[in-house]
Amino acid sequence: MRAVSVGADGDGTLVVVLRGELDYTNSRDVATVIREAVAERRPPAVRVDLAEVGFLDSSGIGVLVQALQAAEDVPAGFRVQNPRDKVLDQLRISGLLELFGLVDAAAGPGAAS
Amino acid sequence: MDADRGYAQRLAELDARIEQARLSPEIVCERAAGLLAGRSGCRIEDAHAHMRQLAAQQGSGLGAVAAAVIAALETQLPMPSAGPHTVTPRPPRSAPHPPSPERSPRPTPPVEASGAGWADVVQQMLDTLPGRHIVVIPERDGSGEIVDYRFVAVSPSVVDLAGRTGAQLVGERVSTIYPSIVGGPVWRAWSEVAGDGQARSVSAVPYLHRDSEYLLTVDVQPVGAGLLNTWTRQDEQSRLTERIAQTERLGLLGWGEWDLVADATVWSEGLYRIYERDPADGPMPREESDALGLPEDEEQRRQATEAFGRGETVDVTTRSRVNGKIKWLRAVVDAVRDADGRPVKIYGIIQDVTARETSRLKLAEVEKQLREHRQDLATEHRVATQLQQIVIPIPKAPIELPGLRVGVRYIPAEQAGRVGGDWYHAATTDEGNIILAVGDVAGHGLPAATTMAELRHALAALAATTTSDPARLLSHLNRLILGTATATAVVARYEPAGHTLTWAQAGHPAPLLARRGTAVELARPNGPLLGASRSAAYTSATRVLEPGDLLVMYTDGLIEHRSSSLSEGLARVTALLERVLAAAGPEPMDDFLAQLRRANPDDDTCVLVARHG
Repeated sequence: MRAVSVGADGDGTLVVVLRGELDYTNSRDVATVIREAVAERRPPAVRVDLAEVGFLDSSGIGVLVQALQAAEDVPAGFRVQNPRDKVLDQLRISGLLELFGLVDAAAGPGAAS
Repeated sequence: MDADRGYAQRLAELDARIEQARLSPEIVCERAAGLLAGRSGCRIEDAHAHMRQLAAQQGSGLGAVAAAVIAALETQLPMPSAGPHTVTPRPPRSAPHPPSPERSPRPTPPVEASGAGWADVVQQMLDTLPGRHIVVIPERDGSGEIVDYRFVAVSPSVVDLAGRTGAQLVGERVSTIYPSIVGGPVWRAWSEVAGDGQARSVSAVPYLHRDSEYLLTVDVQPVGAGLLNTWTRQDEQSRLTERIAQTERLGLLGWGEWDLVADATVWSEGLYRIYERDPADGPMPREESDALGLPEDEEQRRQATEAFGRGETVDVTTRSRVNGKIKWLRAVVDAVRDADGRPVKIYGIIQDVTARETSRLKLAEVEKQLREHRQDLATEHRVATQLQQIVIPIPKAPIELPGLRVGVRYIPAEQAGRVGGDWYHAATTDEGNIILAVGDVAGHGLPAATTMAELRHALAALAATTTSDPARLLSHLNRLILGTATATAVVARYEPAGHTLTWAQAGHPAPLLARRGTAVELARPNGPLLGASRSAAYTSATRVLEPGDLLVMYTDGLIEHRSSSLSEGLARVTALLERVLAAAGPEPMDDFLAQLRRANPDDDTCVLVARHG
C-alpha cells in the first residue's frame, strides 16, 4: 500500500491521504508527491488525512510542514484531520495544532472531523 | 564423390570460421581469460578482472600476463591438431559411441576368431562399451549344422530378468539358460546372421519371466565367428524417450546435431520450443540461427568458435533474439572427430537460461547499488559525525557555571548513517546570565548536521549581540531556517541574581524539574517548531529555582518510540530521575546521565542536566 495518495473532493479541495509510518525512510518521496500535486493543481484548499498514520518521526512531521508551506505558496487553506491519539500528541508537542487547524481537536476526541 | 566434396567444403568453411576467430588482436587476452574461467569456474569478466589485477601487481603488461596464463594452462590440455586440415576423400568414421546396430560390417578382429583369446578380446571390448550386449558363438554338430549357442562375452551391465550376471552366463549354453528362445525368432535370426554375415534386428520378442511377458528388441550383428546381441526392453525404450522429452521440458533444454558428412541437421523437440519454431518447418538453417545472436556477444561467440577449433568442448552463454524476445542461451557444443581430429558430426545441447541470467543480472545490479549506497552512507556518517563533534564537543566532565553545574550526554543512533541533528548550548552571557539550550533538527545525516551547526552558531551569536530573551531567540532561529528545514528547540536563561529561569520552546518537549525527590514536566508556553511558519509566535515562562533543583532538557529520542506513547516514554524517564534522587548518591546528576537509555534506536538523543546551587 502506498504511503501517500492524492485526490480531490467536490469543492476542489486537494485531499492527501497518508498511511502507515511516515519516517526518514519515505518522508522525502512523500513530501515531493504532495508538493508537486499542490503546485500543479493549485487547489483552493489542502486537506491532509492522517487516520491511517500510526507513527511520525521528525521527518514525518517535516512532511506535514512542507505540505503547509506548499499550500501557503498557492495560497490555499490548509488543514490536517483525523490524527490518532499518539500522532495528535506528537503534533501537540511540536506546537503545530493551531497551524494545522487542529486546535478544536485538542479539546476533545472527534472534534477534528 | 559429391558427398566427399560437400564434406570437404563444409570442413573448409568451419576452418575458415575458426581461423577468423583466431585472428582477433585481442584474442590472446580473450583466450587467456577463457582458459582461466574454464579452469577456475569463474566468469569470463572475473577472469579479465583477475588478469588486470595480476598485471598491476606484477607491473607488467596485460598481454604478458595473458601469454603467461596461456602457457601455464594450455600446455596441460590435450591439444588435437589445430591447423587447417588436409582433406582427402575417404569414408568417414563415426562416433565411437553410442554403438549403432546398423553399423556393419565390423572390422574382423585380428585374432583367431574361435579361440579363448578371441573371447577375452571380445569381453574386453564389451567391458568398455556402454549399453547391454551379449556375444554368443554357434555350436555345430559333425555336419556343420548349428545345434546350440554358447555365451562367450557379456557386458558388465547386463543383469537378466532372473538376476543373472555375465559371470553366471559365460560358458553356458543358451538352450540351458533361456530354453524359451530355442526355435524362436531370435534363434532364427542368429542362424541367418551366422549364414550371410548381415546384421538383423528382431523387435517385439516376447520374453516370459515370472508370469510377466516383456517385449524385447534384439539387434544382432556378426563379430568374427560370434554374434553380438544388443538387448533393449521396449517399454524401457519408450520410457527413455519419454524421459528425455521430459528432461528437455523441465530443464528448458534442447539438442541439435549437424552431420557434416551427410549435411543433415536434426533438432530435438526441445530445441524447436527454445527457438519457438514449428517442427513442421524443420531445423533452422545455421546462417539464420547465427543471425539471431546479439552483436554485443560477438566476442564470446568468437572465443567459443576458437575454442572449438582447439578441439575443446564449448560451453558458452550468449543472447539471441527469438521472436522479438531476448533469450540467454547456454550452448554446450562438441564434435565427433575422426582419427585426425577432423569433426564429422557436431552436436550441441542448448539450454534456455534466460530466467537465471536475468535474475543474476538483476542481483548484480542491486548489489552494486547497495554497495554504492553503503559507501555513500558511510562517508556521510563520517562527515556528519565529524561536523557534530566540531560543532558540539560533548564535555567529559560537568561544566561549572555561576550557580549551575551542567552535565551533558549524547547518545548516538544505533545505526551508522543515522547521525542526527541534536545539539546543546550552555554558556554565560556578558551580563552574567546563563543560556541553556537543547535542539533537534528533523532528518539525519549531512543536511541535518549542517542545519544544526547553523542554529547553534546563530544562537551563540544572537545571545551575545542581540538578545538573551528565549522567546525572541527562538523567533530569530525560526526565520533562519524557514523553508529549508524544520527543527525543535528549548532555550532557557538563568539569572543568578534572582535564581530565576525564563524559558521558551519551539515544538520541543518541556524540561523536567526535579525538586525534593519528585520530577515533573514544566508547564509549556506556546511555540511551534522552527521553520514551519513565518507567523510563528513564541512566548516564555518563568520559574524560580531552589537549591538542589535538577533541570533536565532533552530531545525526543529519549521518550519517543514507535510502539509506545510519549507519556509512557516520559514516565520511564521521570521514574529513573526519582529513583536516582531517592538513592541519594553524592552526584545524582551523573548517576542519572549514566543510566539513561534511549527509547528510539533510530534517533539520536541529547540530554542536558543543570543542578542548581
